[in-house]
Amino acid sequence: MRTGSTSVTAPSGYQRPPGLTGWLLLSPLLLWVALFVIAPTAIMLVYSFGRRGTLGGVVLGFTMDNYAAVLDPTYLKIVVRSILYSGLTTIICLVMGYPVAYYIGRADARWRNLLLMMVMIPFWTSFLIRTYAWVTILKNEGLLNGLLMQWQLITQPFEMLYSPGAVILGLVYTFLPFMILPIYTSVEKLDNALIEAAFDLGAGPVRAFSRVIVPMTSPGITAGILLVFIPALGLYAVNDILGGGKVDMIGNIIENQFKGNARNWPFGSALGITLLLAFGIVFWFTGRRQEE
Amino acid sequence: MKRSKSFSIPAQRAVVLAVVGAVALLGACSKSPSGEDKKPDAAAPAAPAAAAPAAKAEAKPLPKELNLFAWSEYVPQAVIDGFQKETGIKVNYETYASNEEMLAKLVSGATRYDLIQPSEYTIEALANEKQLREIDWAQVPNGKNIAPEYRGLPHDPQNKYTVPWMAGTVGIVVNTEKIPAGTIKGYGDVFQDKYKGRIVVLDDPREIVTWAMSTKGIPANDVTPENLAKVKPVLEKWLPLVKVYDSDSPKTALLNGDVDLGVVWSGEAALLYNEDEKFAYVLPVEGAHQFIDSLAIPVNANSPEAAMLFMNYILRPEVSKLISADFPYTNPNLEARKQLTPEELGNPASYPPGNPKLETFRDIGDRAVPIDKMVTDLKAES
Repeated sequence: MRTGSTSVTAPSGYQRPPGLTGWLLLSPLLLWVALFVIAPTAIMLVYSFGRRGTLGGVVLGFTMDNYAAVLDPTYLKIVVRSILYSGLTTIICLVMGYPVAYYIGRADARWRNLLLMMVMIPFWTSFLIRTYAWVTILKNEGLLNGLLMQWQLITQPFEMLYSPGAVILGLVYTFLPFMILPIYTSVEKLDNALIEAAFDLGAGPVRAFSRVIVPMTSPGITAGILLVFIPALGLYAVNDILGGGKVDMIGNIIENQFKGNARNWPFGSALGITLLLAFGIVFWFTGRRQEE
Repeated sequence: MKRSKSFSIPAQRAVVLAVVGAVALLGACSKSPSGEDKKPDAAAPAAPAAAAPAAKAEAKPLPKELNLFAWSEYVPQAVIDGFQKETGIKVNYETYASNEEMLAKLVSGATRYDLIQPSEYTIEALANEKQLREIDWAQVPNGKNIAPEYRGLPHDPQNKYTVPWMAGTVGIVVNTEKIPAGTIKGYGDVFQDKYKGRIVVLDDPREIVTWAMSTKGIPANDVTPENLAKVKPVLEKWLPLVKVYDSDSPKTALLNGDVDLGVVWSGEAALLYNEDEKFAYVLPVEGAHQFIDSLAIPVNANSPEAAMLFMNYILRPEVSKLISADFPYTNPNLEARKQLTPEELGNPASYPPGNPKLETFRDIGDRAVPIDKMVTDLKAES
């Protein structure tokens, strides 16, 4: 966002500081950020240095113990696995989502709204209910096994539910629209003349795609990757419902510190802050790549 | 501990979300429930006279509202409606899905609750921290209906703070169509290599560790580093056999046929049995955890009088019976049990036959942390 606007509207590099009106117009946003981003993060930061309260909650203080506990091999292993899961989810979403987004973006205006609507319709139902619907589809005596057995493709129910594959499926299903929509916005703005020019100058379809279309839709791709990868890393409900809670993801571990029997808020906060730092680094890197 | 009282197939989280969604969609309509609540309010002046047992209230005007904070899907609407109608006190029913969630909101102090519904180990923790208010039993005469085995228990030895709501156990459910009845008697029979991938257990580290401890003859509350070290090899063998960890709705995997046996809350087992009698409930020979959920009054309650009125109300046999009908746990009310149907009393998950070895949980304070860590470690390895 930042890079897009500076490169387009401020070629001179000169930026006027906002006047009173500017600040006034900004104030709702600033208030929102202060209340819902900065304040909670600050509370979490303070908590992460405290000690576990008897009834939950936190006894304020200063200790690094919680951060020391984060650096335990088990949690590192869980973080690595979470990154693998959400990385794989992101790649699958990109591979599946890009053609769809491209097709919608290049479609006739009449069709475009209808197709977009179809991408968004699932949002009308609660995400948890849609995830439970997958339980019905994937279970041993479920829809999919029933169909496969009826078509005599398999003779025994194929155990799909409560496996890592089911978790990835659930994550891809949940996050696919978040990949499609930003890429669509980029594709929609794509200038046809430039693609034609690429062909006129002798580029084949592959070259035109990799050298012209992909770079020009890269803001959408980056936004899509961030919108899928980061939330997928923290989401724990899909893992609980479709994965059977067998392997923990980092989100499960954090949830347990607050709602499970350990009641260890400071440790949960330290995990949260660590994750936030990791997100920050990812965001910063992608931002820099964009600028180059 | 996270325990579902959800009695529909999807876990209550989904239901809650659906309701939230529906409320958001029907924003305009959301006013109507409070509109209905006005009715008992309007009848309020007449109510104290009708509520004869609460005649003392003449001296002091009755409170208008009762903030009840209880497990989701655990208080029948009929009970709330009946209480509102009789007393004119409006009940605000707020719900939680785990004791820890309840504690989190209670200690934050954002809302002053008049009545909470903690389980035994949480009652003990709250009482130790002087967070509970003593009950004036003169205002709760129906306390006499409480069965003797639910009095003087370790979490409330002098019966100062709590009125038991429902009790239950954690035991074994077996799909007897797949596994012959009678072959499973204890945890040792469940966690065998031949049942790998066919087991559901509660997603609750303390429960799991307690089961392993009982196979070594260690009492449920003897959580020491030495004892944890002793059960670690047991859990190393057990956890890779598990297919599903689920505290919210462990019956789902059993009902769907994805697993054939499990260690679950007795209420879930009772529902499975009601659904299909092929689901047998077995209390493990090694011993089982008995949980007792009770009503208690936080020390900062706004209207303890209303809370005690409610306690007295639910202790009436005809009211308590309604709770049993919706939520088939073990009813601790002796008089109410006399009014239950033979079917209700015959459900082996609600009223296990024989003389099982039962233990309640004590508050173990920060010893819960190494339990959590050990189970997390073992799950990450398997």
